[in-house]
Amino acid sequence: MARERKQVIKTRLGDREIDPSGIIYFPRGLIGLEDKREYVLLQVRDDSPFLLLQCVTDPGLGLLVADPYVFVKDYNIKLETPEKKILKLDNLRQLAVLVTVTIPQDKPEDTTLNLSGPILVNTEAKIGLQAPQVDSKYPTWYRLSDRKG
Amino acid sequence: MLILTRKPGESLYLGDNIKLKILSVQGKQIKIGLDVPDDMTVYREEVYQKIKEQNRKALESSQQDLLAAATLWHENENK
Repeated sequence: MARERKQVIKTRLGDREIDPSGIIYFPRGLIGLEDKREYVLLQVRDDSPFLLLQCVTDPGLGLLVADPYVFVKDYNIKLETPEKKILKLDNLRQLAVLVTVTIPQDKPEDTTLNLSGPILVNTEAKIGLQAPQVDSKYPTWYRLSDRKG
Repeated sequence: MLILTRKPGESLYLGDNIKLKILSVQGKQIKIGLDVPDDMTVYREEVYQKIKEQNRKALESSQQDLLAAATLWHENENK
């Protein structure tokens, strides 16, 4: 179909070709970035657990995210009914979980995962939502180098 | 900011479909009950602020640091 044509967008990692069908719509944006709604997930490197959540309409807006389960095996997020409704989620298998990553300048060994505000994506409907974990036992700054073997 | 005084048991309506009820006051703690539409999310401000800060940090990392971290933390390292 003509609508499925690839499209080139400017990103924090340079120009990237994207498939418009991969665009994830965030009806509420991200927290603090409520007016930006359309994002794509870009691979940083082939063998890296890190991805760039890149805004389609703003080349400078790209957040580093990661699949938390690569590092934290027992990460359980809690989802409330309004959040499920926004995500149009009827089956948990549709759900992908990402967390934002902080890399201190020139100190990649001190990289932390932010486990208290996961970004959830309904992979079928391509809808995203950042869902604060209200009563979470998970830290905001989870150091990768501190994790148990 | 609109400032109102309420007693325990009294309520406020915000618009037509948000009801906020003061349940009890005990010392410095006020217990609030909320009736909100079922697609409305409610978060504590400090949690919200914390995540806003996280998002800002996730945006900040330079491309160089990003690639360095990608090299340091491999997906297959933990398998």
